[in-house]
Amino acid sequence: MNKKRMWSAALLLFLILSTVLAACGSNSGSSKDTLVFGRGGDSTSLDPSRVTEGETFKVTVNLFETLLNFGEQDTTIQPGLAKEWDTSEDGLSYTFKLEEGVKFHDDTDFNADAVVKNFERWANGDADMFPYYDTMFGGFKGDEGHVIDSVTADGDYTVIIKLKRPQAPFLKNIAMSMFAIASPTAFEKGDDQFERNPVGTGPFKFVDWKTNDSITIEKFDGYWQEGLPKLNKIVFRSIPDNSTRLNSLISGEIDLADGINPSDAGKIEENGDLQLIKRPSMNIGYLGLTVTREPFDKKEVRQAMNHAIDKKTIIDSFFEGQADSAKNPMPPSISGYNDDIEEYEYNPEKAKELLAKAGYPDGFEMELWAMPVPRPYMPDGAKVAEVIQSNLADIGVKAKIVSYEWGTYLDKASKGEADAFMLGWTGDNGDADNFLYALLDEDNIGSNNYTYFKNAKMHDLFIEAQTEVDEDKRIELYKEAQEIIHEEAPWVPIAHSTPLLAAAKDLTGFVPHPTGSDLLSNVEFK
Amino acid sequence: MSELTPKIDGLAEAEIDRTIGPWREAWRSFRKSKVAVAGMIIILFFVLLAIFGPFIAKEGINEQLAADRLQPPSAEYWLGTDDFGRDILSRIIHGARISLSVGFLSVIASVVVGSFLGIIAGYYGRWTDTIISRIFDIMLAFPSILLAIAIVSVLGPGLENALIAIAIINVPNFGRLIRSKVLSIKEDEYIMAAKAIGMKDARILFSHILPNSMAPVIVQGTLAIATAILEAAALGFLGLGAQAPQPEWGKMLADSKSYLQSAPWTMLFPGLAIMLTVLGFNLMGDGLRDALDPKMKN
Repeated sequence: MNKKRMWSAALLLFLILSTVLAACGSNSGSSKDTLVFGRGGDSTSLDPSRVTEGETFKVTVNLFETLLNFGEQDTTIQPGLAKEWDTSEDGLSYTFKLEEGVKFHDDTDFNADAVVKNFERWANGDADMFPYYDTMFGGFKGDEGHVIDSVTADGDYTVIIKLKRPQAPFLKNIAMSMFAIASPTAFEKGDDQFERNPVGTGPFKFVDWKTNDSITIEKFDGYWQEGLPKLNKIVFRSIPDNSTRLNSLISGEIDLADGINPSDAGKIEENGDLQLIKRPSMNIGYLGLTVTREPFDKKEVRQAMNHAIDKKTIIDSFFEGQADSAKNPMPPSISGYNDDIEEYEYNPEKAKELLAKAGYPDGFEMELWAMPVPRPYMPDGAKVAEVIQSNLADIGVKAKIVSYEWGTYLDKASKGEADAFMLGWTGDNGDADNFLYALLDEDNIGSNNYTYFKNAKMHDLFIEAQTEVDEDKRIELYKEAQEIIHEEAPWVPIAHSTPLLAAAKDLTGFVPHPTGSDLLSNVEFK
Repeated sequence: MSELTPKIDGLAEAEIDRTIGPWREAWRSFRKSKVAVAGMIIILFFVLLAIFGPFIAKEGINEQLAADRLQPPSAEYWLGTDDFGRDILSRIIHGARISLSVGFLSVIASVVVGSFLGIIAGYYGRWTDTIISRIFDIMLAFPSILLAIAIVSVLGPGLENALIAIAIINVPNFGRLIRSKVLSIKEDEYIMAAKAIGMKDARILFSHILPNSMAPVIVQGTLAIATAILEAAALGFLGLGAQAPQPEWGKMLADSKSYLQSAPWTMLFPGLAIMLTVLGFNLMGDGLRDALDPKMKN
């Protein structure tokens, strides 16, 4: 009996001690020049040109640099590794003047030759190897659709890129994270080796990658921009569950957390040790109406749906107000957005009239597809679907909510099997083409255009806009296209959500980027 | 079960003789157990709620008032509102109808099917028995809720399909119970007598054997209703049972699980409703067993 008691006392002592020691460990570990960034998933590669996936870019944007950069919080074109650039009259030739005295992390010199070698590497690849290059530049060397004709060095610090035909968003494409310039010495050692040992010119250099746990990068002393970066070390930690990640932030294990539930925003604002950070919105959440299916083949029915759905309630209740009501298929931050379009107001009476006009005075029955997973543009699809269901019941439409596992859902919806489906999109380069053409043009039926909507006039506008180099003219073309889309109403645009992040109060200099890839060179603790 | 004393048959025999004595005796012994009576009162309460509640409860169980979402219990909303601004009390009352009908209907269905198969297996024996019993064994080899999920996945989610799935998974329980009962009854003299005078099999089965094997089925059935309600709630919770906007208790629980901290009443009351009904059926089932089991009699 006595012995037993002694053992339990020892065990208790051991537990107490281990708690104290653990606490000590975490205190001494978080010195204030190290940032721990908690996020939902691990990167799949550290070679940005090989993936299309955001968690990779989140890290590589700090390891590599691109010839051109996006603006701090927008997708305007800014100087990057190229300090100046020129476009020829015909839009077929681009000349980039490079920064001098820039070095890669492995001490290789950055120059025109390195840039050419990078482009050569991509152009000689294939779609499996460099999928995004394929999408943005229409294929690879020798392909019919390949836009890039040649990339040549003119002296040490000038690069000339010649195109086969004009491509209006070319500069924006060049600024995308996946076209980062890597050290030729490093990638010539082999692609698979390079993928796990990335070498760029960025403010941070790669240290360590523990798969599905953490990626560590540290300050690159030879960085060409004076005084940057301010942090000494960054650890990207993968914490898949949203609430667990928030709890880690509250307990101080991490300093910055991505993917905060809108319903937790209040909790963070009340907490004196934390700050809530809003990422500028560049997305759209919508209800797609498959125009090949009855009764959505009738324009009046689609317009009725637009009048029937109460977006304000949806946004107030299930985005907790962290979203703007949408009226166009792309967010207002993107140039070409048509603000003159008059939003379909919430008006069940008008919706009923339109239904009667289309020949459905007593409504109809339909399937309403709700996405099964939370997305940045739609935090809780099932709940939003229930609001829509109730809205539709008000105009006599009986909607049955249907859901599938995420992969199946996308697959079936893309085959046009849904009457109406909820979906969304986050822009990758801030160009209208990346929203309107990708999601609604007939060329993309079966890939990204799930509504099967097609309109000959709109298609012509898109194709014209792709080769139109004059920005003002392009904007006009996209504005006109949006008018057609508004009138034809293949979607009910619902919301442009504001994805939320949270950080420790003393963190400063963090500027969230709309694409989701945040440059952290200005971040520090005050 | 096969070692049942002939006493229970004596009880059933008495019933055939139109003496209500044994039933009254059972009721007397049931009434003695306070716990069982409490269970019965709970069930009566919910049954009355299910029948008359929807007439009393506020109109518009699916009416969404965004301005009144997640209101705590108050004079206007006795049990608060959910995340769509719907009155939780009204939804629980309407939910009682759903849960109880799923419970009763699925058990009735499994009793009918199970009894039929069980009697045939028990009475005819041999290969009929082998086939039916092996099918029961196979079904019982699956954890019941898993089997229900599998059935619903095939049929497609929905309340009716959940009901069918629950009925199916309960069939072997009743089937085996009846079969073992029949095995002992069919050797009795009065069955022999019936056969001897040339009575048809169907008549023997349904007017002699079936009524005489009902007592354990009643007990098992009461308990099975509790399980059926729980299983329906579980399927609803998993999104496989009742579909939005039906106010099914399990679904109400699932819908409000993200508000556990900020608005606990959204989960508390549907949870309580499930717990109370299940408790009621379990208590009453226990009471019935005590009352109907001849071994418990002095």
